[in-house]
Amino acid sequence: MASGLLGYTIRRLLWTIPVLLVISMFVFWILRLAPGDPVDVLLGQRYDDDVAARLRDKYGYDEPVHIQYFTYMTNLFQGDLGVSTRHTDFNVSEVIWPKIWVSTQLGFLALIIVFSVGIPVGIYAAMARGTFIDPLTISFWLFIDAIPSFVMIPILQYFLALKFSVVGLAWEGVWSTNAILPILIMSLPGVAGVARYMRASVILVMNEDYVRTARAKGLKETTVVMTHITRNALLPMITVIGLSLPGIVTGALFVETFFGIPGIARESLAAITGPDFDVLLALILFGSTLFVFANVAIDLIYAVVDPRIRVGASRGN
Amino acid sequence: MTNKTLTLLMGLVAFLILAVGVVFVIAIAAGGGDDDDTPAGDDQDDNDDRDSVGGICGGNTLITFGSDPASVLDPIQVRDEGTAEYIVEIFGGLVTLDLELNVVGDIAESWEVSPDGKTYTFKLRNNVVFHNGKRVTAQDFKYSFERAADPAENSPTVTLYLGLIEGVEDKYNGRADEVSGVEVVDERTLKITITQPADYFLAELTYPVAYVVDQEQIESNPRNWTRDPNGTGPFELRTFTPAEEIVLSRNERYHLGVAKLDEVVFELSGGSLSTRYENDELHVGVVPSTDIEAVEDGSSPLAKDYKPQPRMTVSYFAFNVDKEPFDDPKVRQAMAMAIDRETINEVLLFETQRVADGILPPEMPGYDESVSSYEFDAAKAKTTLAESRYANSMPRIILTYAGTGGDAPNVLQAVADMWQQNLGIDVELQASEYSAYLRELRQGTLQMYSAGWAADYPDPEDFLDKLFHSESAQNEQGYSDPEVDRLLEEARSESDFEKRRALYKQVEQKILDEAIIIPDFWPVEHLLVKPCVQNWPTLSMSVPKYRYLEIDASKAD
Amino acid sequence: MAVAQASTFEETAPLPPVVRWASLRRLLRKKIAFVAIVYLVIFYGAGLLAPVIPGVDPYKQELTREAVSQGPSAEHWFGTDAFGRDLLSRVIYATRTTIIFTVAVVVTGGLFLGIGLGLLAGYRGGWVDTLIMRVGEVMGGLPTLIIILALTAAFRTRIDDFVFWLQDHTWMSRDDARLLVKFVIITGASVPFAWIGTSRIVRGQAFALRENEFVTAAEMMGASTTRIVTRHILPGVMPLVVVGLSGGMAAIAGTEVALSFLGLGIDPPTPSFGNLIADGAGVRAFAANPHILLATAIPLVLFSFAWNLLGDALVDIVEPRTRNR
Repeated sequence: MASGLLGYTIRRLLWTIPVLLVISMFVFWILRLAPGDPVDVLLGQRYDDDVAARLRDKYGYDEPVHIQYFTYMTNLFQGDLGVSTRHTDFNVSEVIWPKIWVSTQLGFLALIIVFSVGIPVGIYAAMARGTFIDPLTISFWLFIDAIPSFVMIPILQYFLALKFSVVGLAWEGVWSTNAILPILIMSLPGVAGVARYMRASVILVMNEDYVRTARAKGLKETTVVMTHITRNALLPMITVIGLSLPGIVTGALFVETFFGIPGIARESLAAITGPDFDVLLALILFGSTLFVFANVAIDLIYAVVDPRIRVGASRGN
Repeated sequence: MTNKTLTLLMGLVAFLILAVGVVFVIAIAAGGGDDDDTPAGDDQDDNDDRDSVGGICGGNTLITFGSDPASVLDPIQVRDEGTAEYIVEIFGGLVTLDLELNVVGDIAESWEVSPDGKTYTFKLRNNVVFHNGKRVTAQDFKYSFERAADPAENSPTVTLYLGLIEGVEDKYNGRADEVSGVEVVDERTLKITITQPADYFLAELTYPVAYVVDQEQIESNPRNWTRDPNGTGPFELRTFTPAEEIVLSRNERYHLGVAKLDEVVFELSGGSLSTRYENDELHVGVVPSTDIEAVEDGSSPLAKDYKPQPRMTVSYFAFNVDKEPFDDPKVRQAMAMAIDRETINEVLLFETQRVADGILPPEMPGYDESVSSYEFDAAKAKTTLAESRYANSMPRIILTYAGTGGDAPNVLQAVADMWQQNLGIDVELQASEYSAYLRELRQGTLQMYSAGWAADYPDPEDFLDKLFHSESAQNEQGYSDPEVDRLLEEARSESDFEKRRALYKQVEQKILDEAIIIPDFWPVEHLLVKPCVQNWPTLSMSVPKYRYLEIDASKAD
Repeated sequence: MAVAQASTFEETAPLPPVVRWASLRRLLRKKIAFVAIVYLVIFYGAGLLAPVIPGVDPYKQELTREAVSQGPSAEHWFGTDAFGRDLLSRVIYATRTTIIFTVAVVVTGGLFLGIGLGLLAGYRGGWVDTLIMRVGEVMGGLPTLIIILALTAAFRTRIDDFVFWLQDHTWMSRDDARLLVKFVIITGASVPFAWIGTSRIVRGQAFALRENEFVTAAEMMGASTTRIVTRHILPGVMPLVVVGLSGGMAAIAGTEVALSFLGLGIDPPTPSFGNLIADGAGVRAFAANPHILLATAIPLVLFSFAWNLLGDALVDIVEPRTRNR
């Protein structure tokens, strides 16, 4: 069992290498498919063929795509992510790490809120099963989830920032009062998912024998809920928390653009429209790597939960 | 059942406690986190300024908004207004523009022009120093000009603005090692020779590509010197965090009068400008377009802060005159007559722009009121179209826009509807990615497009010669007319301003009559400036202005 | 905040294999679900019937001071936008955009590719499984936004030519042709990423089901693979797919809306919820003309809400242990 799992894990991890290589090749090729390149934008209306040729030479855009890719990968393995053309001649790592850090902090705070609201809401709804409160609670959060953030943000900004001036809209860092509103907006839509999951989990546990026994013994309902039900229902939540972690670093695009937060999502959009090849590539590869490893984690979790899924062994024939 | 009710209540209480708790924790963290090593650690003391008693007018730091520089902060690399805004404050050249856009001496104390108009002799001030205290000499200028013309530096603007100087083209094309037209007479005297007399040459020298840079610094740190550039301007760059902020601090030894502000903070992040302005988070904001009328007629409380800035910019629709159906002037003229710019400005834009009755904006020296573009006349448009050879077989028309420089998509939608209503022509609007747009523009594959042009220096040459001379790299309409070329060339070397003006007027009217482009608006920037900020000028271009400003707390309200 | 909305049922395999008409009746008995379905019927009805509803013209501009940005009135129930266009008409046409887009993505990506590849991976296992899942990983790891942008930029002239060809050679009008092609691009760029979710569910279920006695028994009796898949595996998997899709519908529609909001999806003047909302979104725009944001956002919010509710109700039915009484 243990060695099988280990083998599976290793195989799964080895697979990430070709997957990431293919992703990087594909993105590299797609980016260069567009008719324009960063040099067009760098020179803008002052375009001059000679200058352009020299700049393309400097950034290597005049080489065939596969050579460019090879150069890029060689540099990547030496820790060189290239240079930004939008923030001219800043190293890509200088550009992206501060932004990843900002987004990560925001995402982490939002995640804490999602779970600390979602879990109690889920328990509450499960307890209220059979009354109108259960569907009402869940529906409320599903409704919140249905509001796109680019609708919610202007409305909240209007009331909180313009009408009542409770919060400011200047960006003063993650640890300032101005960051409360964006963090709340990032967390609200996630509550429904966690609450639903928690509710289902609680209901499953409620039907377990030990809960019935506890009830039969005449323990107080509160004790039953707190010690028996909640504790056991929280176990599967660990998986959900784990799976949410990669999501926190990718940033929330609309929150970052509406609040002008110097985070990774806003930078990605700017890099797309820039275009800023190297920054974009670095951000995509960063995101893809996280995504791929999150997938590995999901598969491993399932492999532990249900060994039948750990195939590899083909159907016996 | 009572048990159940109890549980429900408990659940509710638990939820509330948690929710309140979370908000509380964040608020605490926010209050106590100021000394954390957050990425924006550098600006903590600025934040404190803002929070101190007296509000935003309490300190001596101006907080305004800005955009991320589109190039490094190197004068020879700048090519857009947004970046020039920083460059003109940090660096300086021989001459500069004052608030009325007159060419005045900056590092040059005085200059003499030879009778043939080809030689300029500049006398430098003797009290000008770089930010690090080193004196500026004529040799520094020679270095700076030659560096700009060095092909290895890839300056996109040098041939455009310094191409008149003898030897710049040669050096740029690798035919010479130095620029023969720039000569150091002595430490304080610089002689510049140009290839033909040109009245606008001094104006061209106000463009950043002609600014002086510090050879020592550049040679000791060729890659990263622009992170802490050693210029001669009224301000020094203190911090630059991409996408977050740019902070300039006062140059205590500035030769034209030391700035009164300690610092200028350009915020590159944050939400709605007008909201932040009203919340006292910024000294400078923009009027929301929906409030513009109330601000203009004085019924809004913001009216007293209103500082409109008419820009020396024009937005226009351009035709590729080599492509069907625009090779027929009748089609172009009909399209020009079919759009009602007044209505668009009044209804859609809340009168925020000025309808462009010509190409040169009114702020431009040499602007002539008598020049006029086609008036809206639906009936005449129809008859004109009927006379064209495409009257019954109109090819498809695609109007490409990139959302940068030209008109906003909403103006385009309204215009397209007018062409449809008044001429029955379907014009497809096509959004394009900016880099692709620029490339296709250059290759001449776009049939019709929306674009804009902003002045680099206040001279009609910058608009008409650059956009319409058949050999100009910026002429993307495929337009070529020997008569126009001749007039433009004549204007280049004409030294009598009135005569030049007449020549340009002739060219402008001819282009408008042939409808090579349809100018639609001269944009206006609608700024709000806090009353405590004194001396805010009305400017149509990026010229050094922050050194004149002052924050007077007693004028706050 | 993209918290992984890991569905409750993924770990609780296997399921009762047959969920049929009885479930639909049960669904209709749930009041909330019923209301949701009624709303969706109206939404889809309006979208499909848009061209034949009298008085609906999403393009007619009226550029006068009196006509633009007006609040709701008897003449314009949802008010007018900055061009004096009737917002109700534009919303109705926007539902059309949403419908075409979601149906295209669901059918091609969710159902066709998702189930097909999921079944293949789950039933065959081995290298087929590995290959399909890894390809899915590659696809899933790519940002939809960038792909769409690059594709549009790269093939724009060819796209135009194709639009014009369609317009000249088929019954399609300019708008239809343009919409269709735009959809093909956005859909084409979204589909590769849409199937992987469904495939995962299907694959997991197929794994579980094929170990069941009835499948083993059928195999022993010499039933063909096709028969086993269509008769035994597919019926067991379908409910999950339906649940997964209805729960994910809001997200699918959201892709197009977000793209258009950013100006990267459907170009104006063709209405899409994305570009309609963009006209009214902004603190100042909302302060001045709240109706533009509200009138366009509410129908969309209700659409997503209805699908969320439906998805939630379906989970209850498929997973009876957590069912409401």
